[in-house]
Amino acid sequence: MPPLHIVDGQEVVTGNRGMLARAGRFLGEPFVSAWHHRDLIAAILRRELRERFKGSVAGWVWAVFTPLLSLATYTFVFNGAVNLPNNAAASSPIDYALFVFGGLVAFNFFTEMAYRAPSLLHEYAHYIKQTMFPAEMLPVISTLRATTYASIALVLMLICQFAFSGSLHWTVLLLPLWFIPFLAFLIGLTWLLSAMGAFTRDTGYLMMTITPVLMFATPVFFSHETLSPGVKLLMYANPLTGFIEIVRDIVVFGHLPKLVVSAWTLLLSASMFWFGYWFFRGHRDGIADVI
Amino acid sequence: MALPMSSEPDVVIRVRNLAKAYRLYDSPQDWLKQAVLGSYRTYYKAFWALKDVSFELRRGESLGILGRNGCGKSTLLQIVCGITRPTKGELWVNGRVAPILALGATFDLEATGRENVLIGGAVLGLKRAEILSKLEAIADFAGIGDFIDQPIRTYSSGMRMRLAFAICVHVEAEILIVDEAFAVGDAVFQRKCMDWIDRFRDNGTLLFVSHSPTEVIRLCRRAIWIEDGRIREQGNPASVVRSYTKAALHEEENMQRFSANA
Repeated sequence: MPPLHIVDGQEVVTGNRGMLARAGRFLGEPFVSAWHHRDLIAAILRRELRERFKGSVAGWVWAVFTPLLSLATYTFVFNGAVNLPNNAAASSPIDYALFVFGGLVAFNFFTEMAYRAPSLLHEYAHYIKQTMFPAEMLPVISTLRATTYASIALVLMLICQFAFSGSLHWTVLLLPLWFIPFLAFLIGLTWLLSAMGAFTRDTGYLMMTITPVLMFATPVFFSHETLSPGVKLLMYANPLTGFIEIVRDIVVFGHLPKLVVSAWTLLLSASMFWFGYWFFRGHRDGIADVI
Repeated sequence: MALPMSSEPDVVIRVRNLAKAYRLYDSPQDWLKQAVLGSYRTYYKAFWALKDVSFELRRGESLGILGRNGCGKSTLLQIVCGITRPTKGELWVNGRVAPILALGATFDLEATGRENVLIGGAVLGLKRAEILSKLEAIADFAGIGDFIDQPIRTYSSGMRMRLAFAICVHVEAEILIVDEAFAVGDAVFQRKCMDWIDRFRDNGTLLFVSHSPTEVIRLCRRAIWIEDGRIREQGNPASVVRSYTKAALHEEENMQRFSANA
């Protein structure tokens, strides 16, 4: 373990102090820290997962049943729709449901983090104030917890797709490539929101207010592809638009996502990841004092 | 800002002109103003919990810290643990620190003792395999027997404290920070802890905070007395304790006199 060395509130970093070396260290820092604390992350994550359904009889059944019910509902409601919202022809009765469900998987994943992040550090205040706890790993842990539920929904989606159309598109193999940037985006968002939430409770109220509105600025129940070109372009300012379009492309339609959309989405998620980390790191010292 | 590393390799803690200011905001709006306009104006009042503290500790040394409530002791310990950052001055800590500041802070009442040991050990920096191999020894030291597989909420407060201390004992820390942890627990267990700390001092470094002067004299080879964020006196524990208790007595007399006059 390297010694802790702080002078006038700044950590003393040994080694190359050049611009490039410092930038490289900053970019690598979240990964180095996560690797260093991997056993702690696993221990807390295990506890979080157990806690989620504590005191419930059915436990994990809920995690499977809830998304299954919404899939069944959409199938029933949109039963027999010939055209999908983006004017593509439906190939099976469940296509419409899968189309909506794909958007919902991504949006729910985002919602879970948006609602929890502002109070996340308060939840762990006793850890942060009284132990040498790496607070910057909490957003990683909570996003990983949410990942398990998003994964269950995704797997259900694949099972239904297979059950009704008899096969899966080869492009579903690209799902990990969709998942990892999405995870990075949400971790970055959680870094930002949790650090802000540590200082002011307004962050929580803000998210509770804008998240439901955001649902209508996100192509969950409709398709942005049928909108006028100007509005369509504007929709891409919402990072979720790209993620939803891509997951539909590779799971429901079975074609490769557009290169521009993929690049833009990747850029947004990388920016969110490191911006969030930068923001959290800058306020880390204040956090232990205000919580 | 390239300061030379410590000249002596034996130095494990070095603190030089350490100071810590907490930011006090009158309202949350002030915090927001500070976050946005902070580089132009200051919107908080600085409270200097620690003003100027310097000391050095070598391997195998033990330092007792005396001081009244609110003198900056806890802030100093939190800084050494790396929980909070100093505002000014230099801090250098080399080695694994085990703080017995808040015993059982990480305890989850619904989880079993075993699960809590796994989390508590991980927070202190142990690998999962290390903790698993020590589980039995920890349960043994705590003397909780079969309760290790029961939820913590069924434990008595003494049992919780013993389990928490047992975890700290087994992290194999190089620096032990004890902050009046023995207020709870029965005489037998206190004895056991003291014996263990005695043995720990052979190789480890001890930072000991207590209101009990006799414990400081018994466990420490050096003592500092902190008052109002500064070191008022340091040196031989017996003489520091003497001045400290004298000052406390003096203050008490003054208080009685003033209240008699009132």
